Amino acid sequence: MTLSGAFLGLFYLVVFPGFAFTAVVGLFSSWVERKLSARLQWRVGPPWYQPFADFLKLLGKENVVPQGASRIGFFGAPVVGLAGVTLASTILWMANISPGSIFVGDLIAVIYLLMLPSLGIIIGGSFSRNPFGATGASREVKLMLAYEMPFLIALMTPVVKSGGLISIGALLDFQQGQGWMLGNASCALAFTAALFSSQAKLGLAPFDISEAETELIAGPLVEYSGSALALFKLTKAMLLAVLPILLITIFLGGARTPRTPLTYVLVLGFFIVLKNTNPRVRIDQAMRFFWIPLLALATLGIVLAAVGV
Amino acid sequence: MSEATKGLIEQVKEALGGKAAEFQLESPSRLYVAVAREDAREAVEGLFRNLGARLVTISSVDTRPGIELLYHLAFDRAGLVCTVRTIVPGPSPEIESITPAIPGAEWVEREIHELMGVDFLNHPNLASLILADDWPEGSYPLRRSDG
Amino acid sequence: MDIKKWGLKKSPWVFHLNTGACNNCDIEILDCLTPRFDLERFGVQLVTTPRHADVLLVTGPVTRQALPRLKHVYEQVAKPCLVVAVGTCACSCGIFDGSYHVAGPLDKIIPVDVYLPGCPPKPEAIILGVRKALNKL
Repeated sequence: MTLSGAFLGLFYLVVFPGFAFTAVVGLFSSWVERKLSARLQWRVGPPWYQPFADFLKLLGKENVVPQGASRIGFFGAPVVGLAGVTLASTILWMANISPGSIFVGDLIAVIYLLMLPSLGIIIGGSFSRNPFGATGASREVKLMLAYEMPFLIALMTPVVKSGGLISIGALLDFQQGQGWMLGNASCALAFTAALFSSQAKLGLAPFDISEAETELIAGPLVEYSGSALALFKLTKAMLLAVLPILLITIFLGGARTPRTPLTYVLVLGFFIVLKNTNPRVRIDQAMRFFWIPLLALATLGIVLAAVGV
Repeated sequence: MSEATKGLIEQVKEALGGKAAEFQLESPSRLYVAVAREDAREAVEGLFRNLGARLVTISSVDTRPGIELLYHLAFDRAGLVCTVRTIVPGPSPEIESITPAIPGAEWVEREIHELMGVDFLNHPNLASLILADDWPEGSYPLRRSDG
Repeated sequence: MDIKKWGLKKSPWVFHLNTGACNNCDIEILDCLTPRFDLERFGVQLVTTPRHADVLLVTGPVTRQALPRLKHVYEQVAKPCLVVAVGTCACSCGIFDGSYHVAGPLDKIIPVDVYLPGCPPKPEAIILGVRKALNKL
């Protein structure tokens, strides 16, 4: 790899469409989520710079480490999540912008990388030496076991439908030729399953079980403060920017058309409205929901795709 | 006062007849019964079990003859509150606890023990409840003699 | 102005601590955080752990039983942190002054930035108090 190639890669990773771009879009999306929630609750809501102010404020606070907690695990956890979501976003956007430039199988890589934020939370909660942190981490583990299965099956449905293309670029070309994946019945079912699984992945009500404020203090983040907490919050915001783009790329024809901001806001709007109209469910209710109805839906989708519908 | 309430008061008088030193109807819905210290537990438990009264709370006052304990029992349907009062005399007052029969009285008696110094015999758990961890033993704040 | 200070001014996360209050002030603080007064406009969020807090809203005259717990919570808060004494009891013990179980008003134990008298202070007064605390930064 040439030096200029390395610099270009670094630029893609750090500035656009990697860390900086995703962070800004993520924090804006986080503001949209709060403002829309406020409007749905008949209030005014925060100004547009609010998530940025939160982030900057957290950077200025001291980092307190609980006595007896391992520093490596405690500080490594937020970095793991941030790295995962940054890399996933870079790959996803690069696959959208220049489809040939990424390796085959990048879809699998993106899905794998998007598991790292939840892993970061689990590690962070477990290394906090706090019973609330441990309980929150265990709930996050259970939730992951619940929603990852329908999510994976749903995301594999377009792959099966297109005849085995596991490269995002190839899927985009397929949709270019054959129309949106969402137009097929199997993929419509898969899209629904993926939407609900994404709600759990983002940690939004009714599936915000691990960080259940009224029950678990702050769940896995209970002992975090300062810059480590800032990284966790930033990771959550960036996930809010990446997941709708993933769904749009796979199901709705790709993210490089001028229509993309509209579809992005619509998907985001679905998450927000679902968040504001539902109370939190218990962890066993969530597991039952993901393993029985949603898994059946996703499986039906992939079976129909295999049959050719 | 309704017929039902009058009937209820008669029932109470009958249940406590031998033990009660005096009955006092302060108002149509307030009945006060004074009993001796030894009979207090039986009286309260009798009203709770046989007549279906509900224990509201137990209050205590530091009076000249000793610490007076008032067990407030409510007959909700009739709108009558019956108070069984008893005096626990002495520098180390003690009385039988009603907690084994009425579990809801556990913390109330703990509080009275902590603030007034009344010892409740057969109480399952007389640990400190409200006062600070380093509060001096033997100092009972709500007694008249102390602060 | 320093950008982190700007962040702190625009995004104060409050933690509420009751050191033996009668709950009246706590109810008013809860009122403040309801949609009617919409404190999220100012970036105020109620956090559930002292580690995430920027503003500590303390109610109640500090009872002797709450004293070690209050000190513990204050140590746990990630600095910089503002302390607001909400209600007359936190400012000066109120009617409980000299009682057998009161360890003194709040400023005897932790440094206080804003005093909010009132029994209880109205939600508007609480909002004003938090704003004044932030303007001090």
